[in-house]
Amino acid sequence: MSQIAIHQEGQQNLRIQARKGKRKPLGPIILFIAPVMIFYAAFVLYPLIATLYYSVHTVEPVQGKLVTTFVGLENFKSLLSDDIFFLSVKNTLLWAIAGPVVEMLTATTLAFLVYFKTPLHRFYRVAWFTPMLVSGVIVGLVFRWIFNYDWGLLNSTLRAIGLDQFALNWLGRRDTPIWVVIFVHYWATFGYSFILLLAGLTAIPEELLDAAKVDGANTLQAVWRVMLPLLRPTFLTVLILSFMGKMRAFHVVWVLTSGGPMHFSETVATYVQKRAFGWRTLDLGYPSAIAVFWFGVVMIGVALLNRWLRSRMD
Amino acid sequence: MTLTHSKVSNWQNFLAKSQRKISVGLLTIVLLIFTLVVIVPFIWMLLMSFRTTGEILSDPYGLPKTLDLTNYIKLMFDPEIHFYTYFVNSIHVTLFSLILTVALSTLGGYGFGRSRYEFKFRGWLFALLLFALMLPPQIMYLPQFTMMGKYGLLNTRWSLVLLYTASALPVSTYLMATYFSQLPSELEDAARIDGCTDLGMFWRVMLPLTRPAIATVVLINFLNFWNELLLAITMVTNPEMRTLPAAMMMFVGEHGSDYAIAAASLVTAMLPVLVLYLFLSDKFIEGLTAGALKG
Repeated sequence: MSQIAIHQEGQQNLRIQARKGKRKPLGPIILFIAPVMIFYAAFVLYPLIATLYYSVHTVEPVQGKLVTTFVGLENFKSLLSDDIFFLSVKNTLLWAIAGPVVEMLTATTLAFLVYFKTPLHRFYRVAWFTPMLVSGVIVGLVFRWIFNYDWGLLNSTLRAIGLDQFALNWLGRRDTPIWVVIFVHYWATFGYSFILLLAGLTAIPEELLDAAKVDGANTLQAVWRVMLPLLRPTFLTVLILSFMGKMRAFHVVWVLTSGGPMHFSETVATYVQKRAFGWRTLDLGYPSAIAVFWFGVVMIGVALLNRWLRSRMD
Repeated sequence: MTLTHSKVSNWQNFLAKSQRKISVGLLTIVLLIFTLVVIVPFIWMLLMSFRTTGEILSDPYGLPKTLDLTNYIKLMFDPEIHFYTYFVNSIHVTLFSLILTVALSTLGGYGFGRSRYEFKFRGWLFALLLFALMLPPQIMYLPQFTMMGKYGLLNTRWSLVLLYTASALPVSTYLMATYFSQLPSELEDAARIDGCTDLGMFWRVMLPLTRPAIATVVLINFLNFWNELLLAITMVTNPEMRTLPAAMMMFVGEHGSDYAIAAASLVTAMLPVLVLYLFLSDKFIEGLTAGALKG
């Protein structure tokens, strides 16, 4: 008995110590936290700050050494007269607005159907998620072939059913490529939004649904009045993730169109890559300025989405 | 409910039922067509990989005449294609990034997750770490490039290992910290009484309990590392060091006309992920959900 008592007392003492934090285990704290933070500072924080620094400089390699020259806001001024930059901003914004809206509408509908156990729901759940697993490179290449003018799957199908006039050169015109990009990215990512929304639905206690039914609501009313409002936090997460995903997406566009033809499907991410490495201008200052500007836009977009959705939640 | 039902005549009941059946049937057809659009690219890719480029161009639909593995054999053994090298590079980069990520994020997660290690600026530091979830890669990768150049790491697999790990740390540490914080502190107390040091406590008592969280961290990062392209084409330009996604891109450019071989390479690159997914689909879905909803 006494041993147990001592044991318990000891435990209590330890706990009190831990809570009051009188003796902070400084050594272990450093041991556990320092490696992550040092790694993070070296490979994330430092490059982040360096990009800010680059954006007000020209950064050029001269005889194997990197020479930075301060130019003030010159890079940002040049942005204002850069037509390709404006085109890429227009395309990316179009994508980041149209993409999430379509994704939310369809993914929510699909999530509800699976939640209410429509026939074959288990199969759908696994199948719809599959594109998420595949590299953007593979997605881009396969769809480059599917949308191929001569022998692509889409045009051969259209020709086979006699709709020859709709068999366009999807990736070679000025108007269609950006929509192909939006569609393909939707194909690759809607499954993720669907799964997240389904997880949100599953987390809603069933009693609430039953209670609504006892009160005389039919399923549609229960969905509209009870489940959708409870799903709002998930909507917020999914919408922000989807929005950020489109603002930064690179793989699919790069492989599918490389921003072409004639920059008609250029996005900010591909334009940064081209200005940094593709055009042999060798200046890293200007693309850094694009990245800084764009990061500002993403932050403002996320903040606005956050505020808008939160205000609707109350 | 039963009362109202009994009032409905049998005939009306039959009509309602069949109407319901028809609408469920229609819905199923619509969903199946939708699912077909989701799956067809995979099937088409697979079919292409068993045919020749000539056949594909003349008849994009056709089925392979025989189960012809020529494309795969050529892909694996043709010394001009180097596919084997790329595959090994991808495995190398993915594996070492995973090891480093798990090591750092479990340590960090333990330090950030346990109340025992609370200190004044811990919350602030943690927020700083999570801030990176908002960062698009474009805001970091140019200095990352010059940095790797400075230390002579360009065109090495290690540049990718370091940068992939850095990109994975915020969400991984977050997942580990939440998991560690849910473990009861009695475990720590007991281990302490038995004379365990902090590191021993972490290694012998707590870490083995977090296996599910480690599995999640490994799965979500495996996908990202295996599929990454932007850093892969920026840090590595030497053909011999390319990873699969970068190689496939160049591959289709260089051997542009040989679609059959290209299709076989896509299928092979996808295979490790798809095989894992077949066996662990629930774990994948769960892991990716946790990564997003918590992170």
